[in-house]
Amino acid sequence: MIEVQESDETYRQYAIEEYVLSQEPFYLPVTDEVELFNAAYEQKIPVLLKGPTGSGKTRFIEYMAFKLGRPLTIIKDVTEGGDVKTGLPLVTVACHEDLTASDLVGRYLLEGESTRWIDGPLTRAVKVGAICYLDEVVEARKDTTVLIHPLTDHRRILPIEKLGQIVEARNGFLLVISYNPGYQSALKDLKHSTRQRFMAIEFGYPPRELEAKIIQHEADISASVATELAKLGEKVRHLKEHGLAEGVSTRLLIYAGRLIQKGITPRRACQVAIVWALTDDRDVQRSIEEVVSSIFE
Amino acid sequence: MSSSDYRRVYSKFEKQLAPFSTALVSEFRRSAEAVSPLLSREELVQWAEEGLELARQSWRSWEAAGEYFRASPQVLEMLGFAGFGRWSQHGRDLAELSSALSAAYFRASPGTLSNVSFARLPDWVDLGRQLYKGTWRSASLAVQFFDGSPNLFANLSLEDARVLVRFVDSLCDRSYDLAAHCLSIAPQVLTPLSGEDRAAFLRFAEALASTGWADARAYLEKGPALLAHIHSSQRVRFLGLARDLARREGRQAFGYFAEAARALNQVDDELHGYLLAQAEDLVPLSAVAAMEFLKSVPRVLERVRVEEVGNWHSEGFQLLDASLEGGEAYFRLESARGEEVLESLSSRVDLNRVGEILRMYCKALTGDDVAIHSAETLAEKGIGWVDEAPSTEGTAIFLPPTVEQYHDKTENFGVYKVYSTHQAAHLEFGTFLFNFEREGHVFPNLRREREKGRAAGKEDGQREPLTDMERFFDLFENRRLAADLFAIVEDARLDALVEHEYPGIRAAYRRTQRVELESRPEVEGMPLLQALIENLVRVSLGGEDGLRWPASAVQLVPLLRDAIDVMKTVRQPQATVEDAAEATLRLYDLIAQIPNVVSEMAEEDWQALDEESLQLMPMTGDSLGKDMDLQLQGQEMPYQSPQPVDFRGEFKPELVQLLMRLRQERQGQQPPLSPLSPEQLRAMLEKSVEVSINDMVDGDLQQSSELFLTNLMKELTAQEQEKQQPVQRMPAKEGEPVSGFSTPDDERELPVEPKYFYYDEWDFRAGDYKPRWCRVVEYSVGEGVPQYFDQTLQKYASLAGQTRRQFEMLRPELFRKIKRLLDGEEFDLDAVVEFLVERDAGQSPSGKVYWRRNKVERDVAVAFLLDMSASTDEEIAKHERRYTQDEFDDDPRRYFSWWMARRAQELLSPPKRIIDVEKESIVLVIRALETIGDTYGIYGFSGYGRENVEFYVIKDMDERFSDHVKKRIDKVAPVRSTRMGPAIRHATSKLDTHDAKVRILFLVSDGRPQDHGYGRDRTEKEYAIHDTHMALVEAKRKGIVPFCLTVDRYGHDYLKQMCADIGYAVVPDVESLPSRITTLYRRLTE
Ligand SMILES: Nc1ncnc2c1ncn2[C@@H]1O[C@H](COP(=O)(O)OP(=O)(O)O)[C@@H](O)[C@H]1O
Ligand SMILES: [Mg+2]
Repeated sequence: MIEVQESDETYRQYAIEEYVLSQEPFYLPVTDEVELFNAAYEQKIPVLLKGPTGSGKTRFIEYMAFKLGRPLTIIKDVTEGGDVKTGLPLVTVACHEDLTASDLVGRYLLEGESTRWIDGPLTRAVKVGAICYLDEVVEARKDTTVLIHPLTDHRRILPIEKLGQIVEARNGFLLVISYNPGYQSALKDLKHSTRQRFMAIEFGYPPRELEAKIIQHEADISASVATELAKLGEKVRHLKEHGLAEGVSTRLLIYAGRLIQKGITPRRACQVAIVWALTDDRDVQRSIEEVVSSIFE
Repeated sequence: MSSSDYRRVYSKFEKQLAPFSTALVSEFRRSAEAVSPLLSREELVQWAEEGLELARQSWRSWEAAGEYFRASPQVLEMLGFAGFGRWSQHGRDLAELSSALSAAYFRASPGTLSNVSFARLPDWVDLGRQLYKGTWRSASLAVQFFDGSPNLFANLSLEDARVLVRFVDSLCDRSYDLAAHCLSIAPQVLTPLSGEDRAAFLRFAEALASTGWADARAYLEKGPALLAHIHSSQRVRFLGLARDLARREGRQAFGYFAEAARALNQVDDELHGYLLAQAEDLVPLSAVAAMEFLKSVPRVLERVRVEEVGNWHSEGFQLLDASLEGGEAYFRLESARGEEVLESLSSRVDLNRVGEILRMYCKALTGDDVAIHSAETLAEKGIGWVDEAPSTEGTAIFLPPTVEQYHDKTENFGVYKVYSTHQAAHLEFGTFLFNFEREGHVFPNLRREREKGRAAGKEDGQREPLTDMERFFDLFENRRLAADLFAIVEDARLDALVEHEYPGIRAAYRRTQRVELESRPEVEGMPLLQALIENLVRVSLGGEDGLRWPASAVQLVPLLRDAIDVMKTVRQPQATVEDAAEATLRLYDLIAQIPNVVSEMAEEDWQALDEESLQLMPMTGDSLGKDMDLQLQGQEMPYQSPQPVDFRGEFKPELVQLLMRLRQERQGQQPPLSPLSPEQLRAMLEKSVEVSINDMVDGDLQQSSELFLTNLMKELTAQEQEKQQPVQRMPAKEGEPVSGFSTPDDERELPVEPKYFYYDEWDFRAGDYKPRWCRVVEYSVGEGVPQYFDQTLQKYASLAGQTRRQFEMLRPELFRKIKRLLDGEEFDLDAVVEFLVERDAGQSPSGKVYWRRNKVERDVAVAFLLDMSASTDEEIAKHERRYTQDEFDDDPRRYFSWWMARRAQELLSPPKRIIDVEKESIVLVIRALETIGDTYGIYGFSGYGRENVEFYVIKDMDERFSDHVKKRIDKVAPVRSTRMGPAIRHATSKLDTHDAKVRILFLVSDGRPQDHGYGRDRTEKEYAIHDTHMALVEAKRKGIVPFCLTVDRYGHDYLKQMCADIGYAVVPDVESLPSRITTLYRRLTE
């Protein structure tokens, strides 16, 4: 880590593979996903987190990274300041349409008279034994998935063609990918050859009571408002595939909660954080607003 | 003068008159006797002289003389001899023109002169004269005028008559028969009208005759009755308006007059003055608009309050000022702008506008696929529901078609919301899932014991109850009372739950309950049992403070209090429908023994009960009622159910459970009941208080219950069909799908019900859309044989192969390399070398040394729209001008041999029609598209008139290519007209649900758009072109690329206009369509 002093602001900058969480993330298990993940980690089984956006996948992986790092310090503490690292390093890559294999593995840079190779995030995770989380993996180009294959079977290797090298994954390395089955488009589907290399944990929307607790914690609002928001979530999700492409995410409910916490009226908060965020269709907006106005005074 | 004197004078004249006619002589004699006492000798001679001269005046003028003599005595009496001369002079003058005219004049004089003053005599004569044009037909009309004069002037002033004559006169130009007829009926038509009205009536008639003479007769015959629709003080005004219209616009004035009068008849006549004033405001701009305004008033008043009509009017006025056509369309209610204004002024909320929102709202609350329908449809089904109140039968929620309880839209929508929330609550909180065996949450189970107790007293062989609800109600002696109690308790439970779960709707809910409370009937004077129930209804509505009870029955107050406590318990949030049932049991036990007697005490006997006085009453023991002294005085009355609570609507749990049960059986989710026979059903219906069969149909019970059963089965079948066709969401405003109706006959066939969609149409003159103007009916094309497809491919084997290769080249080339970037995937070696070289040479090199591959995906969706109008039936040979004949003109032998050859050819293969080429093109297109993997739909269109635009689905966008599609192509055939606009709009809405990067609408036609009513008249072409152009522009606005291809060689003429800014092509040589179509498509998507 480097501490950078710029005028009066200090910020911290980490090498991607050095970033570990120092505080336990708040996560409420919905079912047995924690045990499942623990087992997978022990067994080095790659994991696919499946579920709609905002259903807690990222939060879960952060939580697991923290929990798993706790008992065994996998990375040596490299800071001079003596910051006690507690988590397992977590390398998160948000995948997008233009993400290519070299974005993940690494590339040459020009430097002076010569070129210099620089490792991509995946390579770094492999080398330090971090959890590498490829978020929304279907978005990435197809050629990236080829890289993944040798890492996910018993070989656990990463070939780097450009260098003519093969890197063996460190012990703690685990590949985790996420995937949203919501977009039912042939183009945006995971290939079977890829899918079949992962165990899958499904993330749905948590039941009302649990979701209320999450919202209450995350938005720092009263239990009753949190319950009403969770109730709203449940009702709006009834409209899925029926005017709405996806149900409302926990994340959006939390946003609404946060706005309410700041003194915005509940109806207005729901309108901007939920109704307008979900759809542009006037009729659907109106129906959801009616549900909102039935629930909130 | 002595009598001999007279005789001498007479005989002298008689002798001279005799040659004309003996009748004339005797007429003279008779008259002379009558006039002689009135005249001096000289006068008498003058008088006779005058007659003689008249007789001599012309051939047949002696007839006039006869009339002269006959009329003389009376006329003399009226005018005296002084006026007499002038009078006869008129006759003489008329005789110059026609003796018949003169005769008629004299004949009519006695009867007429009593109404027309001597001073106006010339005017009268002039009127008759005016009609005479020198022809015999005009003469007979003028004669008719004089003959009718006594009658006419008995009621008409001379002014009126003058207008009438002008009117009749102007009709003469067209038809004497018409004129004569009008003249003959005029007196009886005009008599009933008051003076002012009559004048106005005639003035309009006159205006009408000068333009729309054909309507004159209809006007005269029907006008007065139509006029009677108008408030008596406003008729002159209305006629004035009509006259203005006739003057300015000419034709159609009578039609407007009649329709406007009928329209006003539907409006409170106190408003006529106001409305006419409003209409008059419009006249300077457009008299047509004024009439359209009046015609539309009833429909407008259905939607807005009278106070808003002014606003609606002034909006239209401004529009009219800016554009005549636009304003007229506005007042005709044929403009989108008008619709908008009305909607914003109206406080009424229509179910068909908010149904979709309510449907999603209810779906959100319940999580079920509930449909929303108008309550009218539920009553029509004949399955037990009779009111048009909100209700549910378990799968759908039924609501009144409109709500206009308040002067505010939001509040009226609020009413709908309360209605649907309550009905949804039945589904959400499980009313109909009542299970006899299931425990409640707040009451211990008494049902089981009770059932055992009752079973002990019953003999065997009892029919098993069909539903849990029936089984429950079987526990009660007085079933109606139990059903009423259950309804009160269950509704109270739901209302409490709604308020608990949905705090936001609490206020609206409370308000509705307050309104209901205010309209409850008075408790005072009700028989005791009913009074108690009424008090419970009030409690269920939150009206605890409005309870009333007679002091004379004070010993029952503890009982009332206990009943209220039961209600309170069931309003706890954890209470279930089973608890409602338990509460019913307890309430029933408490109150069933209360006699339904009318208190004999006076009004003052009834006292308000508040919380405190209830609590102060002594406790009732557990043995309550058993040995309590209930000796209340009064007459026992039959029990009547309480007045229903409007917002809760009709509640029929037993029937709903029956329907649910039958539904599950049919879907195989439950073993069937021992076959449900009409007898069984009848037994159930007889017992149930929820249906009164006699309410539904007349006739005997046997028949009625069979009908009921049939209806029930029909309903279930219909529901299953609906389920099979998944509901598609379409844009709510335009192109809203409305399911058609099937008659009972085609029930067995289970045909695919046509789907209806409505679209606006662009009226370029008004510069506005006509709202919901066209109805597009979507059909699936029937299926023929699949061979057609394959044969066509074989026939065009080489073209097919060629096209396919061309299309293969279009195949998604996934990545395209982009060079010279600042950042990218890899170094571009050439660029790096260049970079190094430049740097070494001391230049500042460009850092753009990377390349990256850009993902380019082919993502195309296309809808092909084929013209299936009748003209595509035309043979291509004919279509392509007959220049061949010219070629052979000079050599008949060559022509003949050519013709023979062609005939032979035609016998072998029938002549090809345009539609055939269209079909072949489609085959090739499909082949190409399947290679390339684009999403595509193939549709055809035709139809007749705006209500019936046919849209044929050959292959839908989402459908996979299959043998069905092949078979459908075979069946594509010419149908009727070409209303392109709505077809394009419908295809656009199909494309719009697909989010491809490139979306294309490909129209293939054989000529210009045309249809019945697609333009001002048959010959007008502009309107259709404009609407089609607008439809294409709309598609473009939605990000769709429209393209028009026509095989009409003269297509350039109108395509230039129709496709301004839009791609089009003309294929003059029809046979080349297949190759052109694929080439064009390829170019479009490259
Ligand atoms: N089970 C959970 N426990 C705690 N927080 C949760 C849980 N599920 C969702 N959240 C909240 O929802 C938010 C969105 O979740 P996130 O992990 O970002 O979703 P995803 O990665 O699936 O799109 C998180 O920031 C967190 O506040
Ligand atoms: Mg995420």
